[in-house]
Amino acid sequence: MSWTIDEWFVIALARTIRPLETVFHGFGSPCAQVAMHVARRTHAPEMVLIEGAMYAINPDPPFIPPTSNDASLSRGAAYSMRFEEFFDAAIRGDVDRMFLSGGQIDVSGNTNVTAIGPVSRPKVKLGGGGGGCNLSATIGHLTLWTTRHRSGHTLVEACDFITDIGHRTPLGTRAELGFTGGGPQWLVTELGVFDFTGGRARLLQLFPDVSLAEIRAVTGFPLEAVGDLRAVRPPSAAELAAVRSVDPLGVRKSEFSPRELARSFEPGAGPDCAC
Amino acid sequence: MSLQPPRDKRASLADAVALVSDGAIVALGGGLSARLPMAMVRELIRQGRRGLHLVGSAHSIDVDMLVAAGAVRRCEESYVGFEQDLGLAPAYRRAAEEGSIEMAESCCVNLLAQLRAAEMGVPFLPVRGVRGSDIAALHSEYATIACPFTGETLIAVPALRPDVALLHAPSGDRYGNLHLEQPYVLDERFASASKTVIATVDELVSTEEVVASGITIPGHLVTATVLAPFGAHPASCYPRYAYDRGHLREYVSAAQSGPDDLDKYLATYVYGSEESYQAAIGAERLAALAGWSRSTADWKELFA
Repeated sequence: MSWTIDEWFVIALARTIRPLETVFHGFGSPCAQVAMHVARRTHAPEMVLIEGAMYAINPDPPFIPPTSNDASLSRGAAYSMRFEEFFDAAIRGDVDRMFLSGGQIDVSGNTNVTAIGPVSRPKVKLGGGGGGCNLSATIGHLTLWTTRHRSGHTLVEACDFITDIGHRTPLGTRAELGFTGGGPQWLVTELGVFDFTGGRARLLQLFPDVSLAEIRAVTGFPLEAVGDLRAVRPPSAAELAAVRSVDPLGVRKSEFSPRELARSFEPGAGPDCAC
Repeated sequence: MSLQPPRDKRASLADAVALVSDGAIVALGGGLSARLPMAMVRELIRQGRRGLHLVGSAHSIDVDMLVAAGAVRRCEESYVGFEQDLGLAPAYRRAAEEGSIEMAESCCVNLLAQLRAAEMGVPFLPVRGVRGSDIAALHSEYATIACPFTGETLIAVPALRPDVALLHAPSGDRYGNLHLEQPYVLDERFASASKTVIATVDELVSTEEVVASGITIPGHLVTATVLAPFGAHPASCYPRYAYDRGHLREYVSAAQSGPDDLDKYLATYVYGSEESYQAAIGAERLAALAGWSRSTADWKELFA
């Protein structure tokens, strides 16, 4: 049994979901989308899975298509929420977890999906945040992810533009802003897994083909790591089988550079403890 | 303004789109790759419309092509792009980076609250998020208020009443009753918040048939109905056809490479008519998209 980084990455994302949670992913988020179905087919069979831009409840799609509002994504669902039913549920606090990514993610877990550089004349105009700037205020917990940590441009001290809200913005902390959601809980990258103890990203685990020094070199804020830094737990056979059957078209791979997609792993190839 | 009387609303595409004035606030129905009002988008470009203020949630080729054609002054969507699959929206991105359009990126929740305020006839509704996000800085029309009951600080977002909503439905009758399949996105909200509602339909059916399918948007909200087969293409319009990923890729690639290739794209596909558009896409391709339901393998093959 061997596996690739795209498979292991979505499994690491899936493990951030707790068994009875109501969970949502935004559009254009194939890794999070696959991860939610993996969680539902492994450790969280009773979760309430709200499928992306279809807002379908617990569907069983025959495959994950490369667009987020194709009818294949609502197959097997008894009900699809209206747009407003989903957003109402999320802003009143009935959604426990959402997955969010960004062209930039800062140390407090703010994310930028709007513009790199000044917003009046951006260097790069990104697509935009969908509903994130409200959802990030009220959804129970956020799992952040990026597959571009190694670029050196993604994890930054402060975002050029804050689209979605982390633990602290220049206007204040979540508590000071009166937000009812708990904010970012996890940040999963193609290099390792962070939590947000104390409201700042802190490295907990790394993938075994990556060193702490490599991660430090591409992280734009002073890297804090836990004392007992571990390797990410290897996938189980059930988790790998779930990834492969949920995503036969391999849409999750579209988030990774060719260099990352070449990373493959064997059981026992790396130390369990990287400390 | 009264509700629309139950009269025959059928119109030609050209006459219906002529109801959109230069400078109008235009709500685009559907979203991402589903039920975009593309026949009307193409007709707006043929008629040389200018200065539009576009509003909507998450959109793609509809907004990008209108920006590419120089029809847009202000963009107020929550997202414009081609998702992870095909990436950033080339013309929208270029225009935002050059400063040639007003970039008023919004949030789905704000847009929803603003449309609901218009539907209810109240001047604003409050939202809880936004503070701390730089999205607020793009909207001088938002205001900070204190809840009169709890004192909580909230953001007031003003009612948004589009001049015209452009919607596409798989079927409808001559009286403007429309049947939609999920995702409805903001179409129902646009229909009751907008001053004028224009719908294209893939098929005109009897009232009995649209009642049997289920009326999603009633005729009393609709101003004009236009028969436009494959009127959402290259977006999907289930249960009729899946989205055309290959065509979206062709558009994105033309738009990325610059004005010459974009002009070529517009000349090939847009400047003629809907009939010449369908001929350029090809009957075989359209039949394949309409054949998505033959088997899961056929469906999956469309996206491979």
